[in-house]
Amino acid sequence: MARIELNGIQKRWGEVWGVRDVNIDIADEEFLVLLGPSGCGKTTTMRMIAGLEEPTEGDIVMDGETMNDIDPRDRDVAMVFQGYALYPNMTIYENIRFPLRMRGVPRAEHDAHVRRAAGLVEMADYLDRKPSALSGGQRQRAALARAIVRQPQVFLMDEPLSNLDAKLRQAMRVQIKHIQRELKITTVYVTHDQIEAMTLADRIVIMQSGLIQQIGTPDEIYNDPANTFVANFIGSPPMNLIEGEVSGGVFTAPGVKVPGMPAHVSGKVTLGVRPEDCHVTEGDIDLTGEVYGVEPTGDVTYLTLQAGEKLFEIKADRTYRAPLGATENVRFDAERIFLFDGETGERLRRE
Amino acid sequence: MASQRRKRGENLIIRYLILGAWALFCLMPVLWFLSIGLRPRVEIITPQPIYWPTFSLDAWHMIWEDWPMAKYLRNSILAIFGSVLIDLVLGIPAAYSLARYQYRGRDDIAFYILSTRMMAPAIVAIPIFFLFRNAGLLDTIWALMLIYAAINLSFVTWIIRSYMLDIPKELEDAARTDGASDLRILWEIIIPAILPGIITASVIAMIFAINEFLFTLLIASTPNAYTMSVALANFTGGSDGVIYNAIALVAFLAFVPVFLVVVAIQKHLSRGLTMGAVKGG
Repeated sequence: MARIELNGIQKRWGEVWGVRDVNIDIADEEFLVLLGPSGCGKTTTMRMIAGLEEPTEGDIVMDGETMNDIDPRDRDVAMVFQGYALYPNMTIYENIRFPLRMRGVPRAEHDAHVRRAAGLVEMADYLDRKPSALSGGQRQRAALARAIVRQPQVFLMDEPLSNLDAKLRQAMRVQIKHIQRELKITTVYVTHDQIEAMTLADRIVIMQSGLIQQIGTPDEIYNDPANTFVANFIGSPPMNLIEGEVSGGVFTAPGVKVPGMPAHVSGKVTLGVRPEDCHVTEGDIDLTGEVYGVEPTGDVTYLTLQAGEKLFEIKADRTYRAPLGATENVRFDAERIFLFDGETGERLRRE
Repeated sequence: MASQRRKRGENLIIRYLILGAWALFCLMPVLWFLSIGLRPRVEIITPQPIYWPTFSLDAWHMIWEDWPMAKYLRNSILAIFGSVLIDLVLGIPAAYSLARYQYRGRDDIAFYILSTRMMAPAIVAIPIFFLFRNAGLLDTIWALMLIYAAINLSFVTWIIRSYMLDIPKELEDAARTDGASDLRILWEIIIPAILPGIITASVIAMIFAINEFLFTLLIASTPNAYTMSVALANFTGGSDGVIYNAIALVAFLAFVPVFLVVVAIQKHLSRGLTMGAVKGG
């Protein structure tokens, strides 16, 4: 049971900034995902929670106790690494038992703990193998078992699925979430994969260049992005961001004309609309463009339209087909249009 | 298909022939020593070529019966293994520190350690003699262990360090969050992972040590501390002249222990030599 507070965390190596200013309050039993592109400071933040890095400024507080000067081995955290980090000279059994030995768990209890953890991740049949004799997915499950074997206060997972193939990744994702719910252990999970973040998280923290861009539930992040970075990072394909001009309540850009803008908005504005909120239509038109590409995937067809220099992504009906170069008209869901400041990229909210 | 298969077979034969010839070429001095060591003394110094050599155990009897060769051999082996042990006990923690901890001047210190190999040994020969004399260690195996260890410590440290640098840092981070102390990590994670490197460094240290002559001669004044390499010198002078067959046989005997060790651990050694010693050293 652990609540983690990160208060004004900064990390700097000389002139290089890792993390600039991070404030997060992680609730007990929460599944928190740190999401961002590589180099955004998410792994550094996690390593500071683990105690593998010391913050330059700020406090890490667990259950009311400041942990800054506490050694990793005296923090009750367990970590799963991107490269699995299984000890190559030990069998899987010994790997899973290692934390128990190090933490002074009575020897008599080891076997039961190891077998229970291995059972949870379906690795009971591989206990006498060496890591080198296992596949990537099995290694990852073994690493997971090593983390859960002693029931820590906090799980830390650093891109644990990024070395697995797509199918396995999805299966492991479900398994990780299930285990976390079952064990009720506060979890911080680092990834650059927005699907992983959306599916796993109670709350997502989106980071860029060492700064938090937005904290919120997956729904909040998807439905109410704080700026163009978040809007562009979440969603697949990403949100269409159209740079244009608002005057007299009408947004205009090459091929795009959207009326009904709020009265207080004018000047340079970026309009955002998700591909799933665009509809090919004959009626009211917001966008006109030429068909640049049509990609059927089975359950949905991706349509790319060109208007001026810009390409627009539209999620069309699965039966949609059109020849290249044809002119298509598109209507945006008026409720699902986002406006961002043309200079700063910050969200312009309706009043 | 058929012609291709035959071609591959021919290639294989040619490869074996070339490699076999090369191995024979490399082994030539060893075989030559053995052949000299097992022939009568007269036959070796005769100017005429000999096509059918005579087998003789003269030199064999001479080195064991007239000289305390068993003692020399024992001294060599004890001094060498002792020195390698000292090197590992000191070198492994030093290498770990130089590979993993952050502190000012770390890389400079690593270089200073290596730089001790760069001076000519003769420069320190006289001071070392006085040092050991004052410590009362002259003419003992302990002194040999210490001096061999001192000579080899720098590169043992460097080789092991270069292996440690190759270990993924994640492994140590994992052990640390699992609750292991630094010494535990070194003992349970690092050392097993770099075993090939430790073996490689040990073998190279052994080879240097068994060939060491200058300091051994300086420190050892009686058969108490004579080693094989100094014993060889015994046969080059004196009233009997240069006793070539005895020299050859002693040289061969000095070669045997190292050879046996290397054969025994060959698997680790070949992996070790290619894995880090050359690349990172």
